[in-house]
Amino acid sequence: MSVRVRALRKSFGKHEVLKGIDLEVAPGEVVGLIGPNGAGKTTLMSCLLGFLHPNSGEITIDGRANDDLEVRRGTGFVPERMSFARGETGWVFLRYMARLAGVPSGEVDARAKAMLERLGIWDAAQKKLSQYSRGMLQRIGMCQALIHEPSYIFLDEPTSGLDPNGVLLVRELILEQKQRGAAVLLNSHQLAEVEKVCDRVLFLSGGVIATEETLKHVDRIVIAVTLLAGSFDAATIERVAGAAVRENVVIVSVETEADIAELVREIVGTGAGVIDVRRHTADLEKIFRGAA
Amino acid sequence: MNRVVISETLRRHLTNPFFLAYVALIAIVAFGVSHFNRPGSMWPSMIALLAMITGAAPIGPEFSSGTLQIILVKPVKRWVYLVSRVTGVVMAVSVGAIAGAVCELVGRAIWSDALAWETIGIAFANCIGDAILTVALLTLLGSLTRAYFNIAIYFGVQVTLSVMMAAGGMLRASRSTIGQFLGEHMGIERALFVVERNLFPEFPLGFDRDWMLTVLSNAAVALALACIAFRRREVPYGAE
Repeated sequence: MSVRVRALRKSFGKHEVLKGIDLEVAPGEVVGLIGPNGAGKTTLMSCLLGFLHPNSGEITIDGRANDDLEVRRGTGFVPERMSFARGETGWVFLRYMARLAGVPSGEVDARAKAMLERLGIWDAAQKKLSQYSRGMLQRIGMCQALIHEPSYIFLDEPTSGLDPNGVLLVRELILEQKQRGAAVLLNSHQLAEVEKVCDRVLFLSGGVIATEETLKHVDRIVIAVTLLAGSFDAATIERVAGAAVRENVVIVSVETEADIAELVREIVGTGAGVIDVRRHTADLEKIFRGAA
Repeated sequence: MNRVVISETLRRHLTNPFFLAYVALIAIVAFGVSHFNRPGSMWPSMIALLAMITGAAPIGPEFSSGTLQIILVKPVKRWVYLVSRVTGVVMAVSVGAIAGAVCELVGRAIWSDALAWETIGIAFANCIGDAILTVALLTLLGSLTRAYFNIAIYFGVQVTLSVMMAAGGMLRASRSTIGQFLGEHMGIERALFVVERNLFPEFPLGFDRDWMLTVLSNAAVALALACIAFRRREVPYGAE
């Protein structure tokens, strides 16, 4: 297990913010952290990164303490608001971050250039950070977090302030990190983004994980088949699909893409009209409201 | 110590136009006063001010700006980062001191028969020792506070000590009840004097080995305390 948290508690004075958090993020997994304001998301992230010291509980990353230098060597962090010496250029800032993160000196320039190009801000490399827009700062924040190819990535609202292209880019980058085998913890209020990139979502409320929802099963595909009202017999569909029909939607889990086509063919074979077939994900808004 | 942090700290100062302008001013003053003033005068006071300005920046302001949080996730131990920052700042201050000393020597070579290199060398050593203590004290205060409160506390303590010592002297002279009490307990005034002398020592006229050892050992204690405080310090991000 990559990132592991057990019975984590954190108080500020008499106010207990985290009341016993258990959490695991496996390599190659993207876990979303959502919850209302004041739920303790930032406090949890701060404890994981070693900015705050928990009152009790255990945080281990690949079996080591979170302030172990080996762990730090493999950690990437994007804060919600990027802030640094604004008089520096993006290029100088990124080179410094890369050197500090332990990127071999011979590779620093090449990697910095590649990251700036990948994030679409190479043209602004020689501009001072004070001239960067919020979105550009967010992009350079991603650059500094990923330049050393970390294994444990902590993202706090990485798409805030980004235009739609930037949002798509960050989504791509997160999925690339997942494919690379990195464990990613994403703190975000943008439920649509969380739904698109996360494998699991943790709903933090009142200092505890109120709900945990798996959005993507590793070996199963969950689909929702919407049927034309009045065109089907519910009992027949339930027999063919092996799942109950609710209103005019049947939610089924299959193993492969070919199974989807086969299932749809069988449903249509019963005389039912199929309006829509799409991957099914949890209704995060509904769960968010419930958990909050 | 971390070479990357030291070189970056030094680079940031040496590419800062205000820093360079101030060093140029030190050089001009040192060159100018070499014509009429005693050796090693004026520019060491400018170095003391430079140490205060540059020494105020590490840790406290970095914490408030959010810079520290980005750096603390990098593979550098907190105490190593702190000591490396202090080293970089002291090196930057040394650049100013070198400029002052060299320009005074050049000026004396032009205008005078006596280079007075020994006196200038002692002034250089004294102002570097003083700068190390100033930067270490400001770093200690910065490791406990946010923003530029470190420099505010530094001046606050300095002014408070001076006022207390002056007030104590006046009260003793007035023969009031408090004055009598202070007269009977001279240890209070002596303690204030010792604290002031240790935290804000005045330059000796020549080379004073005891003064130098006191300054450097006080700086070492301040830096060690700063490392201990910084190691346990919580640095929540997003906090203003």
